Amino acid sequence: MEQSGTSTPLTGAVQDLASEVVSALRSGGHSRVVRGATGIDGDDGITVAAVRILGPDVLLPSILLRTTPDTEDVALFEKAVTGFPPPPNASPASVWSHWAMTQALRRANASGGAYADGVPAGGEEPRTTWLEDASWQFLTHQLAVLGGLATPDGTSAVARIAARRPVDVARGFVRAVRRRDWLQAAAAGRWLVTLDGVPETLGLDAGLDFVDLMGGGDPRVALHLQAARLMRAGERG
Amino acid sequence: MTSTGTAGTARADTRLIHGVGLGAMEWLHAHRDGFRLDPDADPEVGFLERFKPVGELALICKVLFQAGVAGSRQAQLARQLIDHAWRHTLDGGAMLVRGQRTEPISPIPFEVYLAFKELGYSHPELEQAIRLNHRLVSSAAFDVPNVRRLALCAYERRFGLPPQVPMDEVVARTWLGRTPEPWTAEGHIGYDVTHTVFHLTDWGERPEGLPPRLAEYLAHWLPAWLDDWLDLKRWDLLGELLVVDACLPEPTLDARAWEGFAGAQQPDGAMPAVRAMPEGSPDDVFDVVYHSTLVAAFASVVAMSRALSQLAHA
Repeated sequence: MEQSGTSTPLTGAVQDLASEVVSALRSGGHSRVVRGATGIDGDDGITVAAVRILGPDVLLPSILLRTTPDTEDVALFEKAVTGFPPPPNASPASVWSHWAMTQALRRANASGGAYADGVPAGGEEPRTTWLEDASWQFLTHQLAVLGGLATPDGTSAVARIAARRPVDVARGFVRAVRRRDWLQAAAAGRWLVTLDGVPETLGLDAGLDFVDLMGGGDPRVALHLQAARLMRAGERG
Repeated sequence: MTSTGTAGTARADTRLIHGVGLGAMEWLHAHRDGFRLDPDADPEVGFLERFKPVGELALICKVLFQAGVAGSRQAQLARQLIDHAWRHTLDGGAMLVRGQRTEPISPIPFEVYLAFKELGYSHPELEQAIRLNHRLVSSAAFDVPNVRRLALCAYERRFGLPPQVPMDEVVARTWLGRTPEPWTAEGHIGYDVTHTVFHLTDWGERPEGLPPRLAEYLAHWLPAWLDDWLDLKRWDLLGELLVVDACLPEPTLDARAWEGFAGAQQPDGAMPAVRAMPEGSPDDVFDVVYHSTLVAAFASVVAMSRALSQLAHA
């Protein structure tokens, strides 16, 4: 879920993976996300690193569409979780990203039934002190990095902080759009879909379509937007 | 005082706000000859083109003079500037009449005259023209942007004439009045927003003139706009937005925005319009920065007024 830096093959792998998630979300059917990604060899180290970067969203189709995740996907996901534990000096966002992946993995294994062995304990939630007094700009930025935590039943401490500050996150959405930071805007929009108390005047639905129009060519942007749409539809349905 | 990055916005130090206003007034006073008309203006440009700065000077100096928080030095400078503009720039009002005779249906002489009249200056011949124009269907039909129509309605009310178009109708047609998607606001929209607030509040003198619906909208989105235009170093627009903030029921007096604004001000008090000071002849530099410097004085006085009244009610 973190910015992928300048490594071109890895960036490409993350984009491909995100494309595959978007495709799975759109089709509502197939769930072979990792193995289906163009040019991704499932045993390659880059693939596992890409899974680690995209984070819990790799398993998002099974969560949003309530399907059983592909077993090979889950195995690769597990490799990413166990292979990239956060180092001692990891940023809070990185620690949270890892926590979110362990949660997604536990859930996947619970629904699949057969892959519980060796799953790291989800354990206690990481601390949220770094977000408690955050300015609205920093709050939105960090929430955007942790966009994968914005799910319909997301009950993390991060989600609870977001729930207390809908207007601040909405301001962050405005800021991201004004700066043409489409990835941050899409992730903030995805969070906003999960929050109560967002001012009507934000024009969130049109805002999401605007971000799609301007930045939807980036699969990671499209992923957040598609997640937002599915959650919006679920909310209305 | 620096922004702490906390959930609650840190408030600017009132000494810093006051300093911005005093510096701006010193610069405006020292450069008062920059407020000049051009009787030989190219007809394509028009004689009335250079009246706008004088009108803005008068409106803002009036607020400054009457606010009672500016300190005796600033009030004195404001009074001297207004007097200079009336006696020298406008030749005791004769230039306004000349402008009206050049373009009889133009509302500009009226817009410039209003603040002077409110401060006790008078020119009966110009007032005759203003009252005649007010009777014309043509004046009401004059095709202008909604925010300018709102200005004319507000000035008519202040002058003692019934607005030619109902104010509520005009407000509802402005960008702000329709409370649109805040992420679409570009620079020219920013100015529409600030001026809608100026006219509804009589240039910050009556914050209660801002309807609650619009105040709530601005309380939600102004922080995002302040943040954006601060980062873009659009000082002129940022200053106007700081006035808007000071007109809200609960001004934030955003420390980060005020510190950035104060940091852009030059040692002599001039405020660049965008990024840094321009280069050129003194007249050219004046024409680029007089407005942002006026806005600095304006933002300072309205923010000080609100800060002090909040203290008084604390």
